Amino acid sequence: MSTLRNVAIVGFAQLPVVARDEHRISTEMLYPVVRQALADCGVERDAIDYQIGGSVDYMDGRPFGFVSALDVMGSWPPRQDLHLEMDAAFCAYYAWLRMQTGDCDTALVVGHGKTSEGDPDRVLNLQLDPYYQAPIGLDPTSSCALQASAYMARTGATDADFAAIAARNRAAGARNPDNQVRSAASAAELQKTPWAVEPLRKGYLPPVGESATCMILAAEGKAEKLCDRPVWIHGTDHRTEMQTLGARDLSRSASAKLAAEKALAMAGLPRASDADVVELYATTPAEELIVCEALGLDAKAARPVINPSGGPLCAHPIMSTGLVRMGEIFRQLSGRAGDRAVANARRGIAHAMQGHCLQQNLVWVLGTERRWS
Amino acid sequence: MNEPPQEPVKYVESKVYLPYDYIAGDYKARYLAALKDKRILGSKCSQTGKVFVPPLICSPESFAPCTEFVDVPDRGVITTFCTVNIPVIGRDIELPYVAASVALDGAAISIFALIQECKPADVRMGMRVEAVWKPDGERHGDHQDILYFRPTGEPDERPESYLNRL
Repeated sequence: MSTLRNVAIVGFAQLPVVARDEHRISTEMLYPVVRQALADCGVERDAIDYQIGGSVDYMDGRPFGFVSALDVMGSWPPRQDLHLEMDAAFCAYYAWLRMQTGDCDTALVVGHGKTSEGDPDRVLNLQLDPYYQAPIGLDPTSSCALQASAYMARTGATDADFAAIAARNRAAGARNPDNQVRSAASAAELQKTPWAVEPLRKGYLPPVGESATCMILAAEGKAEKLCDRPVWIHGTDHRTEMQTLGARDLSRSASAKLAAEKALAMAGLPRASDADVVELYATTPAEELIVCEALGLDAKAARPVINPSGGPLCAHPIMSTGLVRMGEIFRQLSGRAGDRAVANARRGIAHAMQGHCLQQNLVWVLGTERRWS
Repeated sequence: MNEPPQEPVKYVESKVYLPYDYIAGDYKARYLAALKDKRILGSKCSQTGKVFVPPLICSPESFAPCTEFVDVPDRGVITTFCTVNIPVIGRDIELPYVAASVALDGAAISIFALIQECKPADVRMGMRVEAVWKPDGERHGDHQDILYFRPTGEPDERPESYLNRL
C-alpha cells in the first residue's frame, strides 16, 4: 500500500433523532447543525474548501430539493459542491477521495432529510426493479426478513440470538442522548414483541426517525488546527453488489467482507477485532450478525465493543445513519462520547451501508494517530 | 397446453404512489398565517440587515441567521418580467399574460407575481405595482390569497434601485 494523504475527522454535529420535527423543514434542521460543526472547529464557513451532501428527494417529496440545502450551508461565494442520493457516510468517502487528489484540504459533509413527511417504505420500495421486485411490495422490513431467514437457515441462528443482539443495542442506546429510543429492553421482553415480518419481530426493527448531521474533514496540516484530538482515517473502502436480490447470497455480505479486507489492508491492521470500538449500520439483528461475520467479528465478544451508541436499532435517521456511525467513532476516539465512552479506545471501525439487504457497504478504519508519516 | 401470448408484452404499467404531508416549518407558517391578515412577513439577516420574503432561516448570501421578522409592504417594483403566450399546466389565465419578479419595498429579493389590470405591452421594468388581495373572509393563508399585482400609477423606479434585487 502506497502512502496516502492523512485526513482526519475534526468535527461532528447532529440533531437528536426524533420521529417528527413539527417546527422545521429539512434545511431548517440542517442549518444549526452546520453552524455547530463549524463553531466546534472554531472557524467560519470560508475556512472550508469543499461541500457535499447526502439526501434523497423522494424522501422529502421535493424534486431537486437537495439544492435547497445550499442555502443553509454558506454557499456564497460560489463553492465546489456535490450531492449524492446516498447516506452521508458515502459523501465522506467522496470528500476523502477528493482530498487524496490534493485539490482540497477541508470538506463539509452533511446528511439531511425528513422521513415523517412521506412514506419511507414506499420510497425504499422504489430502489428495487419496477418489473418483479417493486410491484410485489417488497419494503425494507420484508427484504430484511428474507435476509434474516436465509441467515438462520445457513447458520442455525435462532430468535433468541436475534433478541440478544437487539437487547445489547438497546442497553447501550439508553446512554446516548441523541437516540430516538432511549430505554433498555431485555432479550426476554424483545422476544415477546409481535412479529413484524417473521422472522423479524417489532422489537428487532429500527425506529425510523429524522435528524440532520454535519461532519468536517481536514487533511494533515489543517486538521490539527481545527480539532484538539483529530481522528485520523487509516483505511477505507466502498464495494457494491448487484441490485437483483435473487442474484446474491442474502445470508452473507460479500461486499462488506471485501470492503473490510481492503480497508484493513490500507490501515495496516491485521484484523477488525484489533479495533477497540466498532459502529455498524445494521438495521436488524440479522444484518448485524451478517456484517460481523463479514468483518470477522464475534458479535458476542466483549472487545471490540460493538455499537456503544445503541446503533440503528435505537436511532435510524435515514440518509444520516451511516454518517452517525462515523461520528460516533469520532466521539469515542476524541474523548467526546460522554457516558457511553469505551475505555482506552484508540482504534475504531465505522461501517455504513445502503440499499436492500446490504447492497452497498463502506468501511472506515479510524485511529487516534496519523496513519502515514 | 399453455399457449404463449399472441402479442409480446411490450410495456409494463407501473404506477408510483408517494403521498406526502409537508409541514410548513415555523418560518413559513408565520408567513402564511400573516397572509390571512393581508400582511406580508419577511425575515431580516442579523449581519447585513437584508430582508428575505418569504422568510428564510438564514441568509443564503451571508450564512448569518435571520432571527427577526419584519412586515413588508404589499407593493413594490417589477424587476424583470416575461409575457406568456402559451397555456401553462395548472393555470387558467387569459393569454397573453405577464409573469413578473416583484421586489416588495424593503425586500432584498423578489417574489414571483402575476400582473393584471394592464396590457402586457405596457408592462416594463421599474413599474410600480401593488397586491390585489382576495376579499376578507376568503383568505386561507396560502399564496392564492394574493390574486395578482396591478400597476399603482406611481412614477417608475430607476434601475439602480432594483437591479440587485432580481
